[in-house]
Amino acid sequence: MLLEINQLYKSFPQADHGQIDVLKNINLEIHEGETVAVVGQSGSGKSTLLSLMAGLDRQSSGSLRLREQEISEMSELKLTQFRAENIGIIFQQFYLMPHLTALENVSLPLEMFGNKDHQKRAKEALLQVGLSEREQHFPHQLSGGESQRVAIARAVVTRPSILLADEPTGNLDNETGVHVANLLFDLVQTTGMTLLLVTHNMEMALRCSRQLTLQFGTFQ
Amino acid sequence: MKNPSSLFWPKLALRELLNNQRFSLFFLFNLALGLAGFIALDSFKESLDVHLGKNSQTILGADLALTSYVPIDDQTLRKLESNFPESTLSTQKISLFTMVASKERSVLVQVTGIEEEFPFYGRLILEKGGTVQPQFIRQNLDMRGDAWIYPELFTMLDIKEGGSVVIGEKSFPVTDSVIDDPSSSLSSFGLAPRIYLGLSDILETGLLSKKSRVSYQHLYRFPDETDLTVLVGTLKNKIRKFDGSYSKIRVLTHKRAANNLGRVMGYLNDYLGLVALIAVFLAGIGAAYLFRNYLVHRFREMSILMSLGATRQQTYRLVLWQLGLLGTGAALISIIISLGILPLLEILLEQFLPRGFETQVNVSSLIFALVLGSIGSLVFCLPVLTRIRSVQPLRLLHENTGNHEVEVSLWSQALSYLPLIILSWLLSVWQSHSLIVGSTFVGMLLLAILILGTLAWGILMFAGKLSQTSGNTIKRLAFRNLQRNRAGAISCFLALALGTLLINLIPQIYQGIQEEISRPDDYRIPSLFLFDIQPEQLDHLQNILAEENTQLNYISPMVRARLEKVNGTKYKSEFEEGLRTREQEREQGFRMRTLNLSYRTRLSDSELIVEGRQLAENYDWNSGSMAEVSLEERFAERMGLKLGDLLTFNVHEVPVEAKVVNLRKVKWNSFQPNFFILFQPGVLEQAPATFLASLGGLDKTRRMYFQNLIVNEFPNVSVIDVTRTVERVLKISDQMVLALRFMAYLSIMAGLVVVFSIARHEVEGRLWELNLLKVLGAKFSDIQKMIQIEFAVLGIYAGIFGVGLSLVMSYGIAWWFFENLWEWTWQISLASVAGVTTLSVAVAWLATRRTLRISPLNLLRSS
Ligand SMILES: Nc1ncnc2c1ncn2[C@@H]1O[C@H](COP(=O)(O)OP(=O)(O)O)[C@@H](O)[C@H]1O
Ligand SMILES: [Mg+2]
Repeated sequence: MLLEINQLYKSFPQADHGQIDVLKNINLEIHEGETVAVVGQSGSGKSTLLSLMAGLDRQSSGSLRLREQEISEMSELKLTQFRAENIGIIFQQFYLMPHLTALENVSLPLEMFGNKDHQKRAKEALLQVGLSEREQHFPHQLSGGESQRVAIARAVVTRPSILLADEPTGNLDNETGVHVANLLFDLVQTTGMTLLLVTHNMEMALRCSRQLTLQFGTFQ
Repeated sequence: MKNPSSLFWPKLALRELLNNQRFSLFFLFNLALGLAGFIALDSFKESLDVHLGKNSQTILGADLALTSYVPIDDQTLRKLESNFPESTLSTQKISLFTMVASKERSVLVQVTGIEEEFPFYGRLILEKGGTVQPQFIRQNLDMRGDAWIYPELFTMLDIKEGGSVVIGEKSFPVTDSVIDDPSSSLSSFGLAPRIYLGLSDILETGLLSKKSRVSYQHLYRFPDETDLTVLVGTLKNKIRKFDGSYSKIRVLTHKRAANNLGRVMGYLNDYLGLVALIAVFLAGIGAAYLFRNYLVHRFREMSILMSLGATRQQTYRLVLWQLGLLGTGAALISIIISLGILPLLEILLEQFLPRGFETQVNVSSLIFALVLGSIGSLVFCLPVLTRIRSVQPLRLLHENTGNHEVEVSLWSQALSYLPLIILSWLLSVWQSHSLIVGSTFVGMLLLAILILGTLAWGILMFAGKLSQTSGNTIKRLAFRNLQRNRAGAISCFLALALGTLLINLIPQIYQGIQEEISRPDDYRIPSLFLFDIQPEQLDHLQNILAEENTQLNYISPMVRARLEKVNGTKYKSEFEEGLRTREQEREQGFRMRTLNLSYRTRLSDSELIVEGRQLAENYDWNSGSMAEVSLEERFAERMGLKLGDLLTFNVHEVPVEAKVVNLRKVKWNSFQPNFFILFQPGVLEQAPATFLASLGGLDKTRRMYFQNLIVNEFPNVSVIDVTRTVERVLKISDQMVLALRFMAYLSIMAGLVVVFSIARHEVEGRLWELNLLKVLGAKFSDIQKMIQIEFAVLGIYAGIFGVGLSLVMSYGIAWWFFENLWEWTWQISLASVAGVTTLSVAVAWLATRRTLRISPLNLLRSS
C-alpha cells in the first residue's frame, strides 16, 4: 500500500471563533501505480486534501500514511526531506522560479540535494515533456502550456513515489489543457508513477483508473 | 540525502538579485551613500595614525625629551643620562611664551632657543637658507645672534626681513623665516607663532628668571637598537626618587609626542564619526524598508523552493546570502565614493593637519568597509527577516483564500532589534573612543527615533481621521494612503526628521557659542589679558594705567603647587601606559598637571557655589583651624575629590593643608581669570606668586596701544589680545563646523535617497490602483497632486518635529556642556522646514513621474 488515509478530519478556525470542518472522515487507499482523480466543486476541500497529502499542512485528526510512514508524526525537517524524495507536486499556477531558465527550474530540486547528474536528468525530463529546444528560455518567454510542462518535468525529475496535481489544466485554455493532460498521462503510464489528480474537469478525471467525488467534506 | 554544491545557494541568491535589478540598485546605492562618509573618515583617521606613527621622531625632533620647568643641573642630568647607550647624541632647547615687539606692534610668541645639533630628526627649513645645517645654526644664531621667525609674524609685527624684534632686554635682527620645523604642537593654529634664537641668546633676553613658566628641554638621539620602553621605565623610576622640582621632570618619547599632536584632531574625528554614523543609520532605515518589500515579494519563490524540498533554514540562508552580497557590493561602491570624499575632507580639515600629511586608503579601512557593509546590512534587516517565518508553501494551493500571516511574537520582534542596537552602540563607542559619549549618542539617537516614531504614528492616525472628514476626494485618498502604508510613511518620516534634526543641531549649538563670544562690545569679555605680572611690578603697572584712564580688572594672584596627598594618602597622578579612551587620556593629562592656586575673598559674578558653604574670610594662623579651599565642580570630579576632603599641597616645597568646603560652577567663557582651586585669603600670601589681570572695553587701536605700552615697560609680562584670539578660535571652529556640516549633508542625502526609493516603491506597489483611478476618470494631475500631498504632509511634519527636537537637544547640550549658551535662530528653523518639505515633494515627484505616466491599458494586460 502506497497511501493510506483513515478517518481524516481537517477544520479551520473562523474569524468569529467558530470553525469550519472542511474535511470530515476521509478514508482512502491508493496502491502503487494507480491513478486516482478527485473531483468536486470549487471550495469542496480538494486542495486542502492535497495539501495534507503533500505534508504542507497538518490534519486535525485521523491518520495519513505514505509508504508506511505516518506523515503527521514527522518533524518539520524530516517531512521536508521525505517530501523531496517521495512527492512531486504540480500546481494550477505552474509556479516556476522567474529568474531561472526552464532547464534550471527543472534541475533545481536535484541540485538542491547535490545530485551529481542533475544536468543530464533535467535534460531528459525536459525531453520527456517535449521542451528540449526551450531549455534556455525563462518563464516569461514560455506560454502557459509550456510553463506547465516545465512544471511537470520539475515534479517528475526526482522520480517521486506519488505525483500530486492540483488542477494542472485549470489555468489553461481547453486545447492546451488537453495537450498537457495527454502529456501527463503518457508520462505516468510510461514510468508507472502513482498519480493523484485534483480536477473539476470530468473528461480528465475519467482518464484515471479511479474517480472520487468530494462533497460536503467527504467522499460520496 | 546530500547537500548541494557549496556554490548552489550563493548562485541562486545572485540570480534572484540580478533578476530584481531595481531593488538591488537602490539598495546598493542607498547603503553605499550612507557608508561612504563613514569609510572616508575611517581611511582618514588611519592615514593620520600612520602619518603620525611614521613621523613621530620628526615631530619631536628626537627619540626622547626630558622636560623640566627649572634648569636641570649637571649632576642631576648626569644621573639621568648614566643609563644611556654610548653613542647617544644630546642637545638642549629652551622655550617660553613671551611678548615680542617691533617698532609698531607687539605680539605673544613662543621663543625657542636651540643649539646646532637641533633637530636630530626631520628638518628645519628656512625660506632663504633652505634646509638648515648644524654649522649654519652656530654661525647665524649663536655667533651672529639672528632670529628666525614664522612667516605670519612679518604681518603681525609689521616688519620686513632685515628688520628687528625686541625680545626681553635685547633686540634681534630677523634674517630668515621658517617654512618647516619639527613641532609637537599644531603650529598652524597660529595662536603663538614661534621665533628661533640661539640657545645662548635666549639667556641674554633676561626673561628666564622673570618668567613663571620656561620649559627646559633636553633632546636625545639613541642608537637604532635602543629599547625605549626599558629606558623610559628606568628614567621614571629615578625621577620619582628626586625631590623638589626635579621630581616633576617629564619624559616624553617621540611616540607620545605624536599622540599628543594627534589628539586635537582625534577629538574632531570622534564627532565627525558620530555624525557619519547617522548617515549609516539613515541608510540602514532605507535599506531595511527596501528589503522588507523585496522580501515580501520573494515569499512565493520561497514557498516554491520549500515545496520542492528546501528547508526553512535553507531559505534563510538564501536570503542571508543575498544580504551579504548586497552589503559587500554596497561597501565596494562606498569605497569608490569615499575616494571622492577623502580629498574633500583633507581640504575641510586643513587647519588641523600636520604638515606633509597625505590621505591614503589603506587595507584595514577596506576590510572594515567590507565587514561593516555585510554585517551592517544583515543586522539592519534582521527585524525584517523574522517575517520569513510567515512563508507557507501551503499558500501555493490556496492562492485566493486570504492572508494567513503567522503572528510573530512581540518578543522576538523586539529581540530582533537587539543586534542593531548593540552594533550601533559598539560603533559609536568605538568611533568616539568614549563609553560616555558613545552611549549618550546612541541613547539620544534611540530616544529621537522613539519620539519621532511615536509622533509619526500619531500623525498617521490623525491623517486617517482626516481621510474620513476631508471633503476633497484627492486629499481624502492621500490621507488614506498615508495611513494605510504605515511602514513606508514612518520610514520616510524618520529619515527626513532625523536628517533635519542633525542638520539643525550642529549649527544651532554653534550659533549659541558664536553669539556669545563674538559680541564685540560685551563688557564681560575683556580686551586684553595680562599674565606673568611680578608682585613688585603690580603697583607700577596700575599707576601707568591710571594715567591712561583705565584700570586692571580681576587682579588675581597665581601660585603654583602640586597636590601631594588626599586625606593623608599619597595622590596617585599616573596611570599605567596604554590608555585608550578619551576620558582616560584627558584625566591623565589633568592629573599630571601642575596646579595653579589662587585666593580671593569673594566669588566673581561668573561663579556659583553648587555644594557646601562660602569660604571663611581671613585665615588666622593662630586659630589652629584648617585653611579652606573651594574647588571647581568638574575639576573635583576628574581629580576624584569630594566635599570635605583634606588636601595637602606642595607649594614651593612647603606643605600646605586645606579642607574642601565648597564646590563651584564656573562660566569659563566669561573669559575672566578663573581658577580650579581657590584658597581663602590669608594662607598663600607669602608664597611666590605672579599675577593675572585683564583690561576691558578697548577698541582695536587702543588694544594695540596698551599692548605696546605694557611690553615696553614690562618685557616679562605676556599680553593676549582676547578679541583676536577669540576670532582665531572662531575661525578654527568655523572649519570644524563646516566639516561636521558636510557629514550632516551626507546624511540628509542618504535620507533623501530613502524617500526616493520609498516613494517609487509605493507608487509601483499601487500601480493598478492608480490606473483604476485613471480609468474611473481621475486626471493625471489629480494623481500627481495626491502623491504630492502625501509627501508634503510627511515633509512638513518631519521638518517641524526634526527642528523641534533639534532645538530641545541643542538646548540640553548647551545647558550641559556650554553653560547655557543658547539662542534660537528661527530663520534657520523656518528655512529647514520649508527646505525639507520642498525636497520631500520634489524627490517624490522625481521618483514617481515616470511610473505615474504609465497608461491604464496595463490594467488589461497585467496578470
Ligand atoms: N487556511 C484556511 N483557513 C480558513 N479556511 C480555509 C483555509 N484553507 C481553505 N479554507 C477553506 O476550506 C474550504 C476548501 O478550500 P479548498 O480546499 O481550497 O477548496 P477547493 O480546492 O476544492 O476549491 C474553502 O471553503 C476555504 O475557504
Ligand atoms: Mg483548489
